[in-house]
Amino acid sequence: MIQAANEPTSDSDAREAVVQCRRLTKVYKKLLASRAKAVRALNEVSLSVRPGQIVGLIGPNGAGKSTLLNLIAGLIFPTDGDVTVCGHPARSIQARQSLGYMPEHPVFLGGYSARATLRYHGALLGLSRAAIADQVDKSIQRLQMQEFIDRPCADFSQGMKQRLALGVAMLNEPQLLLLDEPSNGLDPVGIIRLRDLLKQLQDSGAAIVISSHRLGELEKLTSDYMFMHHGQIITFGDNAMTGRAGQLLVGLESDGPRLAETLLPASKVLEASETELALAVDDPAEVPDIVSKLARGGARITSVMLQREDIEETFLRLCDERGQ
Amino acid sequence: MRAYELLKETFWRRRYIWIVHVVWLALYVMFWWLYYPDPEEFGGLLFLCGGFLLPLALSAGIIGDDVASGRICVVLTRPLRPGTLFAYRLLGLSLQGAIHFLLAGIVILVLRLVTRKGSTEDLAFWLFLSWLLFNTWAALSTSSSVLVKRSQNSLFLLVAFITIGGVLQILIWNLRNYAVGDVLKGILRYGFPPHTLLRDLGNGEFEEKNLVLAGLHLPRTLVYTAHSLLLTMIYALPGVLIFRKKQFLAERD
Repeated sequence: MIQAANEPTSDSDAREAVVQCRRLTKVYKKLLASRAKAVRALNEVSLSVRPGQIVGLIGPNGAGKSTLLNLIAGLIFPTDGDVTVCGHPARSIQARQSLGYMPEHPVFLGGYSARATLRYHGALLGLSRAAIADQVDKSIQRLQMQEFIDRPCADFSQGMKQRLALGVAMLNEPQLLLLDEPSNGLDPVGIIRLRDLLKQLQDSGAAIVISSHRLGELEKLTSDYMFMHHGQIITFGDNAMTGRAGQLLVGLESDGPRLAETLLPASKVLEASETELALAVDDPAEVPDIVSKLARGGARITSVMLQREDIEETFLRLCDERGQ
Repeated sequence: MRAYELLKETFWRRRYIWIVHVVWLALYVMFWWLYYPDPEEFGGLLFLCGGFLLPLALSAGIIGDDVASGRICVVLTRPLRPGTLFAYRLLGLSLQGAIHFLLAGIVILVLRLVTRKGSTEDLAFWLFLSWLLFNTWAALSTSSSVLVKRSQNSLFLLVAFITIGGVLQILIWNLRNYAVGDVLKGILRYGFPPHTLLRDLGNGEFEEKNLVLAGLHLPRTLVYTAHSLLLTMIYALPGVLIFRKKQFLAERD
């Protein structure tokens, strides 16, 4: 079992966590199907998400991201393990009071306008008439829905649907927001607005879990990633980039191959030319040591540049390492 | 607010619902206009079209549509028990039925006043009996909509009703000389939607014949009304129980 790196270790941490999953397993098995045909979508996943944290769920198709979101949202039951939201079991009414959920393909009643849809969800949340009116106005302002607020949802473009779905999910100012591909169909301005909105929510203490294939967008929002593969979490948190902090490019006046051979371990050297060394760096803290070692060994250094792996490169590397 | 929105949703969930109501009302009007039926004939039409076919048309996809589209996933992440959602869907249907029969009654009374032909005798009673039958079918259809995706629940129910009813009738005929034949007859009469009981009640076949239950003389109208309402609840129960335990994936069908 691979556990999330920041899984809480004490009871107080667990109480503080907005989402707490313990050894969560989900096996899909069709009625009357043999055991061999069962699909293990999630395999003993443990993790916790703190208030104010934005977690990006990444992974190839079929990795278990949607299953994890569905389990946290209480839409499906775990085969084993448990999941709590704000200290309450995921499917409980109390958990749902703290939850906002936006699916990948939002669907609304075609005959309802955006305003009627927001009102409907406000009523489901148990808000009073005045509170609903207040929240609806806020949503309209926040998501710039003025131009289509009274049009029927059947006429909406994908971008309008996404904005309305976000409005619906944020209606109760939830402590936990679960977003599945939130930027689908949004134009660049909409994406920037979404980012600002999520940052605001984060500042107000809400935890946000985003499943997205738009890695560049995720990178602008958070440094906490959870790479999922075959129903397991492979890496979690800022140290997701672990394994490889990046590449250190050291410019030299001359003699690159000899310096690399005599001063550095072979495993570190990716490429060595007369005037440049490309070195693998696991941790940025190693950089001063490498540079001073080279300088002490007589290298005349002209430049030093650390190229960090971005999320897309990390994603591709992790997929590649696992033969995806 | 919650109750209001949940009930309103059943009226507006599909545009064709209003078309169905209008078409059915037009059918009553045409039937009246062309035949000037007597109370029993008109009651029979109300009973068949309003009590039996109307709930099937109105409840097509009442839950299955939301399951197939994935909309249910957002609704069920709200602080709302699945059983409550189910109950409001059924109540919404029942309310639609009540409004439909009220409108039908008004339309027919107006026609009677305008044309001065036909008879409105027992009209209110037939409307009430049709509404009772409507509720039982609505409950059955809502329950089946939990299991059957999209709008096929009504068709599925119609086929199941005809098949099971037909098989039971054949068995009853073949086993008429055995005790088991009587048991099957009882199941068909009291366990199935109460078509025969309510129609006979409307036709006045039980007039002044009280039913004796545990030493109490009870009017049959009261007993069969209670029986219909009880059946409605029994038919709804499996739907509620399955809905509570059902899992929903946020993926479109």
